Amino acid sequence: MRPRAASWFGAAAAAAAAVAIALLPLTLSDYHRSQGALVAVYFVAILALDIVTGYTGQISIGHGAFMAVGGYTTAILLHHHWWTSATGALHTIWTLPAAALVGFGAGLVVGLPALRFHGVYLALTTFAVALAVPQLAKNYSHFTGGTQGLSLPAHNGLWLYRLGWIVAGVAFVFAWLLLRGRTGRAFRAIRDSEVAAASSGVTLALYKTLAFGISAAMAAVAGSVYVLVNNFVNPDVFGLTLSLYVLIGAVVGGLGSLWGVLAGAAFVQLLPIGLTSGPLASSEDVPVIFGAVVIAVMAALPLGAAGFVQTALRFASRTRQSSTTP
Amino acid sequence: MTRRMQGGLALALLALAVAVVASAAVAAGTATPGVTSKTITIGGTFPLTGPAQLYGVIPKAENAYFQYVNTHGGVNGRKIVFKYYDDQYNPANTVPLTHKLVQQDHVFAVYGSLGTAPILATRDYLNGLRIPQVLVATGDSYWGSQYKKYPWTIGFQPDYPGESRVYGQFIRNKIPQAKIGVLMQNDAYGQNYYNGLLQGLGAAKSKIVDVEKYDATETDVSSQVVKLKAAGANVFALFALPTQTIDALVVTTKIGWHPTTFINNVSSSPLFMGLAQKSGADVQGDITATYVYDVWNNPNTAVAKQYKSILAKYDAGADPLDANNLYGVANAWTMVKVLSLAGKTPTRAGLMRALTHMNWKNPYLYPGIVMKTTPTERYPIDQQILEQYKGASWKPFGHLFGNAR
Repeated sequence: MRPRAASWFGAAAAAAAAVAIALLPLTLSDYHRSQGALVAVYFVAILALDIVTGYTGQISIGHGAFMAVGGYTTAILLHHHWWTSATGALHTIWTLPAAALVGFGAGLVVGLPALRFHGVYLALTTFAVALAVPQLAKNYSHFTGGTQGLSLPAHNGLWLYRLGWIVAGVAFVFAWLLLRGRTGRAFRAIRDSEVAAASSGVTLALYKTLAFGISAAMAAVAGSVYVLVNNFVNPDVFGLTLSLYVLIGAVVGGLGSLWGVLAGAAFVQLLPIGLTSGPLASSEDVPVIFGAVVIAVMAALPLGAAGFVQTALRFASRTRQSSTTP
Repeated sequence: MTRRMQGGLALALLALAVAVVASAAVAAGTATPGVTSKTITIGGTFPLTGPAQLYGVIPKAENAYFQYVNTHGGVNGRKIVFKYYDDQYNPANTVPLTHKLVQQDHVFAVYGSLGTAPILATRDYLNGLRIPQVLVATGDSYWGSQYKKYPWTIGFQPDYPGESRVYGQFIRNKIPQAKIGVLMQNDAYGQNYYNGLLQGLGAAKSKIVDVEKYDATETDVSSQVVKLKAAGANVFALFALPTQTIDALVVTTKIGWHPTTFINNVSSSPLFMGLAQKSGADVQGDITATYVYDVWNNPNTAVAKQYKSILAKYDAGADPLDANNLYGVANAWTMVKVLSLAGKTPTRAGLMRALTHMNWKNPYLYPGIVMKTTPTERYPIDQQILEQYKGASWKPFGHLFGNAR
């Protein structure tokens, strides 16, 4: 497929996806709208992970921790009434950029080890962060509510759906603009070869920590929306499972592809729900079946959903070319 | 067309899509949810698995009673449909499951949901939507004391501070040489019990030599118990969940500590005491409080037989000697009663009216207890009796005491 056609295809697909997402809530119940909002949450979190892992090649299995940072930022600001007033909704939304800022800071700090550690060592470091952050919330229970958590005002499903997908749209456009330009090239260069990247003038320290910071900021916003959808936060909301689900979503969707993110998000949020509402599975069986499906999907599509689509398109264009060539 | 223009096009389409989302209409509501001409749908969340799973029998016993009522004509001709989900005693699960009960199952009321932290996490949401959250399975004082802010939430059992206040008074009056060690859950549930104990002790609260805490997800409390013994305590106030209580009782005996032990009502089911004994705990002489009918010492009365036959028929395999099954039946009896008084076609306001105008005896409660509420006095059960463990069961002693506030 020629680059221009690919770019057209991308724009058309983006438009189609956006229109479909926009029209979907008209047909959904309030409950399914809030489930749709959670798909948006995973979309943003997986997109965030994709920037640092898929594009920059730095493995993180601790993105649940960045979501926790954002989620607690929103929850604490709202719960302690520091940011609420008669016009509560507006203030609610303003906690999102605040969460992004705090998340950005946390990401820079966690990004520092990435300057030294590679591969599995970096993965373990981020894993430790995922374990430690929820414990911190237990220790400072005066602010965080401890294990008992904090309750927040509830919003209806439509409001949450809109918020989630507007945030997702903004994050997507931001990621697209970031990755198509100079910064994105630097990220990919680091992923492909750090030595080659450095010798081409890419400042490794700057771009690695930047990737972590940006990624963490996005994950933090995802955590904020997550908390608003649940109108509740406690340390278990951001348990290790969440980090793993984000990673699974990224891998199933296809690392290093913006398109796969949507498939990955739908997979991790909707499959467990589909399984529990089905006739076969009780809630205890869901993790087992979910794990089996993940293994099956990875065996069938090693490059994830995005890799599958790319292969299919390449195959289609090759057959078309060969048929037009005499 | 340049790449930049294509990007602009994509952005424009995205903006259009966002505008469509923003203009989408909200579906309008209808008549009382959860009520049809044939059924009333209610639902709750319970720890079927996880650290508090020993309470998992409660919704099954409640459902057994509802099935019994359904086969005998239902409530004003309507059958009760009871949906319950497993939240593992974790408010992080309770919240989305409660959303599901409301938004997907369209329940008439959230009934019987278990646990202080889970109720605290969901009462803002339910009260905001004016959905009854009733007969919740937790004795924290908030449900009765904060009714002005949360008028749609009401409890069932005696409040925890009232219970532990009596333990405190008992220690103050009967155990002059007491050195008290406390094990409590590190949340509002534990704090409620602890506050009551302090009130009951009054000036004697200086006799508390150590307070140890655990998080609800922690099931091994042996290090805390060892510290309490090391602090020299000879009275052990145990404000924990069943799993941790059983563990604490076993560890206490194993390390050769023999304090006078007070076990809070929600963890003192004879079933749990039996489990602790099987693991080597010496529970003779331990003290607790109760308010349910004493089926253990009166197994052949009409009430005891009725209770056992309901379980045998509608909850196969349930252990009638587990006080939590009796709790479930007593709680469900109350729900059926208030549903029958909630209007010919029940309404949510009618249900709350019935719940705040109780004045009756419940056959599954300890004889003499009157369930009584008014719009400003919202503690349905307000009387209990102390019991001491002797032989293989709890023996009531003294007379009913009220949880005077």
